[in-house]
Amino acid sequence: MEVRVRFFATLRDAAGRDECRLVLDPGAQGADVKTMLAECYPRLAGLIEAARLAVNYEYQPWEAPLSDGDELGLIPPVSGG
Amino acid sequence: MAFLTTAPIAWDRVADLNRRVSQGHCGAVVTFIGVVRADQDKRHVIRALCYEAYPQMAEALIHQLIHEATTQWALRGAQVQHRLGLVEVGHISVVVAVAAQHRAAAYAASQFLIERIKRDAPIWKREQYDDGASRWNVGAAQLVDVADPVGVDHADV
Repeated sequence: MEVRVRFFATLRDAAGRDECRLVLDPGAQGADVKTMLAECYPRLAGLIEAARLAVNYEYQPWEAPLSDGDELGLIPPVSGG
Repeated sequence: MAFLTTAPIAWDRVADLNRRVSQGHCGAVVTFIGVVRADQDKRHVIRALCYEAYPQMAEALIHQLIHEATTQWALRGAQVQHRLGLVEVGHISVVVAVAAQHRAAAYAASQFLIERIKRDAPIWKREQYDDGASRWNVGAAQLVDVADPVGVDHADV
C-alpha cells in the first residue's frame, strides 16, 4: 500500500521537500513511517521524535494502523496564535 | 466561512465578526485579538511573523473546537479568524469572537478556544527579525535556525 506524507515548518526545511510517498507493507503503523523517514532523511530523525502524527487530517497515535491512500501529516510543535 | 485567511485582518473587520456572532439572544460578546508583538532577544528584534498551516487539518480542527465550545457553553455564535502569511508587528494575527447568554460562559469559551488553537492547530510561525534573519518559533520558547533565511515575501501556505 502507498501513503502520502506531508512535511511542515522545521520538518519541511530539514527534509528539503514538502511531501513524499511511501510504499508500506500491509498492516503498517505510523511508527513504521517514522522509522522509514528517519532512514531516508537522517536530518529528520530528531525532529520526528518531537512531532505528532496526523492521519487524514486528525491527530492519531503513532501506533495507528494505516490504509492505502492515507494522507499523513508530520506535525512539529505548533506555534499558532 | 474559512477560519484561515491570507488577507490582513483590519480592526474594522473585528467589529464585523462581533456583529456576526452576536445575532440572536445573547447578553455577552467576548473577543480575543492576538497581535504581533515586537519581542526581542540579545541579537534581534522581531519585525514580523510569517504564519503557515496545514490548511485542511487546521480548518477541520478549528471547526471541531468551535463545535465543542458551542455545545459546552451553549454559545449563540462563535467565529475564528487566523492569519497566514506575513503579519507585521502591531497587526492582528488571530481573532476569536464568541457570544453567549451570560459573560461567564463567553469568557470561558473564549479562553478555551484560543488555548486549544495555540496548543493543537497545525499552524506555525517564523520570526522575522529587523536584521533580515528569521527562525521558526517551535512553541516552548525554543527557536530553530532556518537554513536559508530569505526575505519577507515567504508566505507559503
